[in-house]
Amino acid sequence: MEFAFYLSGLVAVLATLGVISNPNPVHGVLYLVVSLVAVAMVFFALGAPFAGALEIIVYAGAIMVLFVFVVMMLNLGQAAVAQERAWLRPRTWLGPSLLAAVLLLTLIGTLWLGDGGMLVQGEILRARQVGIILFGPWLLVVELSALLLLAALVTASHVGRQRQQSPDSTANREVS
Amino acid sequence: MSFDLVIAYSPMVLVAATAVTAMLGIAWRREHTVTVAVSVLGLILALIAQVVAWGVIPVGTALLDFDGLALLAGLLILASTLACAILSHRYLEAFQGAREEFYVLLLCAAVGGLALAASRHLAGLFIGLELLSMPLYGMLAYAFNQERSLEAGIKYLILSAAASAFLLFGMALLYAQTGEMQLSLLMASLNEGLGLWGLAGIGLMIVGLGFKLSVVPFHLWTPDVYEGGPGPATTFLATASKVAVFALLLRMMLSAPLAQADWLPALLTVLALASMLVGNLLALTQSNLKRILGYSSIAHFGYLMIVLVVAEGLAAETTGVYLVTYVLSTLAAFGVVILISGNTRGQDAAALYYYRGLFWRRPYLTAVLTVAMLSLAGIPATVGFIGKFYLIALGVEAQRWWLVGGLILGSAIGLYYYLRVTVTLYLVAPGASRRDAPDDWGMRAGGLVVVIVAGLVILLGVYPAPMIGLARILAF
Repeated sequence: MEFAFYLSGLVAVLATLGVISNPNPVHGVLYLVVSLVAVAMVFFALGAPFAGALEIIVYAGAIMVLFVFVVMMLNLGQAAVAQERAWLRPRTWLGPSLLAAVLLLTLIGTLWLGDGGMLVQGEILRARQVGIILFGPWLLVVELSALLLLAALVTASHVGRQRQQSPDSTANREVS
Repeated sequence: MSFDLVIAYSPMVLVAATAVTAMLGIAWRREHTVTVAVSVLGLILALIAQVVAWGVIPVGTALLDFDGLALLAGLLILASTLACAILSHRYLEAFQGAREEFYVLLLCAAVGGLALAASRHLAGLFIGLELLSMPLYGMLAYAFNQERSLEAGIKYLILSAAASAFLLFGMALLYAQTGEMQLSLLMASLNEGLGLWGLAGIGLMIVGLGFKLSVVPFHLWTPDVYEGGPGPATTFLATASKVAVFALLLRMMLSAPLAQADWLPALLTVLALASMLVGNLLALTQSNLKRILGYSSIAHFGYLMIVLVVAEGLAAETTGVYLVTYVLSTLAAFGVVILISGNTRGQDAAALYYYRGLFWRRPYLTAVLTVAMLSLAGIPATVGFIGKFYLIALGVEAQRWWLVGGLILGSAIGLYYYLRVTVTLYLVAPGASRRDAPDDWGMRAGGLVVVIVAGLVILLGVYPAPMIGLARILAF
């Protein structure tokens, strides 16, 4: 399992370098998704499949949804189609695809060699154990995180408010 | 969970419940005064619970350790949050737009401070610190239609996020090296030699925590954020937030004697000396009271770092006394700024220009600010003197001559700008365009808070026995 860990780690580092060195944000995001999936692979290799699954669902999933929203909000026209076509050159997608292919090969190799339960060392940490820890001794951290998210939400709702708005309409919006 | 633990948790739970209550109240109907009343009531209940928790300490879990230090820091955090909440009432009355969210954020940050001050585990440390910082972004950027406030919020957000990244990376390296997440075990492992990764981890953690304490050379954000943020948010940042971070640092240093790792005290000595000198020197040329107070807080935490370097004997008691003196003096100074600024819209009236001749218009308010300045400077008969006295005694006893010298030099430089502010108050008033506290400031709760705090500064300066007794009981 060690080769999967190191290979995924390498892919994560390379993909992250791609994120920060890419001038085009959309291209950067391609690398970002690969990087997140690679980190998820690292989690799987370390025996934390729950964390790995969360990484894919929350990060890769949420990021993708975010970008779908951004694309929806943009007014796409003929120019955008031309732009899309220009982006379909190999040097745009070749890097992320190569890295993703390495990840896929790693995954297939791991599955080929044995069952998915192999890991670098220690025990497999399944959702059950994670839940027992989170809602047992670490309950306080969960509650404090909830409060943290509440504060973040209140901050975002306050700062994101329109400048000239009567207090009543904002109050209504908050209720809904 | 034992009953003692429930009592020890209760201040935190009460403040969190107050925050949720305030939020639900906002969702139902916006009433500024009611929100303030709910917040103040919750904070007073939490203060009472904190005093009750005195009877059950020390108790703790794997994450939090409710000892005397956590209790004392909790008392200071709750008291300064209470003062901020009361002072915000008048201040936000003049604010256009939604006012009530400020209290939700304030209460959330107070919970974070309580958790941070009591944490003995890296996870508690990080969540506490984030919960303390996250609401502060919103509080600093609260008046987001003013450029300065928005700038302060964004500056604090970005730099604080970078500091958190440093802290987290440091934690990861330390954990990789030692396999421990308990602070006391981590500190004990320093004695066994850490190797390169562990050293890098400690260094990164010092960067992260030093940023929150605005220790030189991680202080660059301080003056801008202090100047730009709304008065009550800055007050919270200068008092409760720093008290919580410092309590955590002291717990780390006290948790294990550093017999083999004398490089850490040496490093802290350098940081402390730099903070004392740079903080005081940069304050000399400022013409904005909030900026002066920002640099002053850098210098004060430079002085206080003597405690971290010595970390034995009277260290805990000294911290208690000094934090009380610092919080009282800072609250008085910021309270006056808030009262002067709160009457009108727009930016805070923090430029020294507005304070010229304040004595001839508002003699009592001027007296409060004078007392605060003298106390920050460490003049005898104010509480600031007692704190400095303790620090020098601690430094001399431990024979840390560099630090004692730095403290004396820093205080000498500091006298200049504290007295400059004081002198400005008594000059002849300029003619036009002045900003002033409302006529009935003394009848308001905010005015009362400021007067009580100033009274405490004098009272505890003349008769410090209760404060010292409290610090002595709680420090062990």
